[in-house]
Amino acid sequence: MFYRLTGVYQTDYAKDRALWPIPTDRWIALLLLAIAIAAPFIFQVHYVANYMLPWLIWSSAALALTLLMGVAGQLHFGFAAVMAIGAYSSIHLARFGVPFELALLGAGLISAVIGSIFGAAALRVKGLYLVMATLAMQYLVDWVIVNVPAISGGAQATLRTPDVSFLFIPLESVWLYYMALLWTVVVTLFVLNIKRSSYGRALVAVRDKDYAASIIGVSPFRYKLSAFFTSSFIGGISGAILAFCYYQAVTPEQFGFHVSIQLVAMVLVGGLGSVVGAYLGAGFVLLLPMILTNFVAGLGAMGILNVSASLLAHIPLMAYGALIIVFLLAEPLGLAKIYDNTRKYFLVWPFRHGQS
Amino acid sequence: MSENDSVTREPILVCDQVSRWFGGLQATKSISLSIERGEIFGLVGPNGSGKTTLVNAITGFYPPQEGRIEFEGNPIQHLKPYRVAAHGIARTFQNVALFRGMSVLDNILLGRHILMRPSAIASLFYWWMAQKEEIAHRRKAEEIIDLLQLESVRNESVDVLPLGLQKRVELARALCAEPRFLILDEPMAGMNQEEKEYMVRFILDAQEALGLSILLIEHHMDVVTAICDRLMVLNNGQKIAAGKPQDAINEPAVVAAYIGKTDHAA
Repeated sequence: MFYRLTGVYQTDYAKDRALWPIPTDRWIALLLLAIAIAAPFIFQVHYVANYMLPWLIWSSAALALTLLMGVAGQLHFGFAAVMAIGAYSSIHLARFGVPFELALLGAGLISAVIGSIFGAAALRVKGLYLVMATLAMQYLVDWVIVNVPAISGGAQATLRTPDVSFLFIPLESVWLYYMALLWTVVVTLFVLNIKRSSYGRALVAVRDKDYAASIIGVSPFRYKLSAFFTSSFIGGISGAILAFCYYQAVTPEQFGFHVSIQLVAMVLVGGLGSVVGAYLGAGFVLLLPMILTNFVAGLGAMGILNVSASLLAHIPLMAYGALIIVFLLAEPLGLAKIYDNTRKYFLVWPFRHGQS
Repeated sequence: MSENDSVTREPILVCDQVSRWFGGLQATKSISLSIERGEIFGLVGPNGSGKTTLVNAITGFYPPQEGRIEFEGNPIQHLKPYRVAAHGIARTFQNVALFRGMSVLDNILLGRHILMRPSAIASLFYWWMAQKEEIAHRRKAEEIIDLLQLESVRNESVDVLPLGLQKRVELARALCAEPRFLILDEPMAGMNQEEKEYMVRFILDAQEALGLSILLIEHHMDVVTAICDRLMVLNNGQKIAAGKPQDAINEPAVVAAYIGKTDHAA
């Protein structure tokens, strides 16, 4: 097999701490990046615009949430509200004539500040109580957006995103996809770097044992708040990118409570704290229902599945729910763990046991 | 170490009339002690005698309600634990307090937290802002790994290690902060004879290599009498004996506290 540890010796600390110390991992990452860049030329527009584009953006949002829930260990059940703040802020800033680059930054900062204010609850409560505090954020933000016409543009209004350009490139057609790709790559590198630097270690320390963290000089107060700030910053910009590159018009329902739950599902199904898991989880939660729906509809059209139309509509939902249960039963640590096990199997192949 | 007693050395840590109670339970009663720079100071006593409470008072987890604690002349009795760490005090815990989700190396690197400048921005621009620092501190961490002979388990996850090794990793994490004062809370609890001997050697090695002052809580009297310069014995939150290890543990009050009163205390 080509996927081997044999002959891989790190001779300096920089290489040992590289993002992908094993050459095969590095090649896989580069290959995936190459496919992502070439996608508009090799896949049909329909697939790129309706499957890959939202998958990328939701992956970046899932990465933000996995940073908070997995790495820093702070539960958040109102993350769609953070994205909503980012989306609405960026649209209003862009409408005021703020350049798109700065509007994104502003959207991130506004989300981060509001997210940290609600995150401050985490300084006093943990676990289920923190879930309640973040749920309160979801409902408060929803309420404010719906009931303040200056933000939502009136009840049940749809706010269109203005035409903008990023670094002098007008954001339209294929550039929408590249914008999302750029952001997702930046977020991915950001989270990977956090996990290998002193900042990320401090976050994990507070998550694992806060008293042990404080005795080595890590202030739990500071790092919990900082985790909310950083994660909400990424989440806010992801919301803005989602609005500008995918929806192109926003309504409050797009960032409702069910979206928060979907995000949590992405993180849990993918694997808490895992970067690969965020991609897999986002893909699972977002794409699987679409694929199942198409598949079942195809079966129905071919006459293989001869059932009533309403049952036909519900089969994908049932299959989706069953699949989540099957995957979580088979591997409670998520899709990332399945990936990890497979990778380790090939790393030591043909031996059965070994260390990675 | 213990030979030059004639030289009076400056105190590194001074506790003056430290009291701490929890509700109606007085855990430490007006305890005063002075630990000199470079010595190993033993703190012994039966279970529940207030040893760990005193250590928690020093490290800021349970600030004393009365009394003063000075470290190198600065009062530290009202500092939060993470501020105490920044003053140069490190400690290990009775029940190993490692970060279970992390590798041995990451645990040890975390020891260097107070010497690093962690930030989200530095992580974002890792290659320009963090890499150099990470590598410099990795080099220092490897020195400690070398000192405590942890090379072979460097990349293991800490929760798969046996207890003896976990305690050694915790010692490594504490040493990595380059402390001037180290508190060891029962570093040999639950160890067999061989592991104990290893641990003693590591403690002495580290003390010599890093010029540490050490406060050692330990139940193994053979260890305490062998390596401590001075000893204090607590019982029910009060000091019942202090001084040279051999003399202190043979005081009638100490014998009585440990094995009960006899007709004629030997």
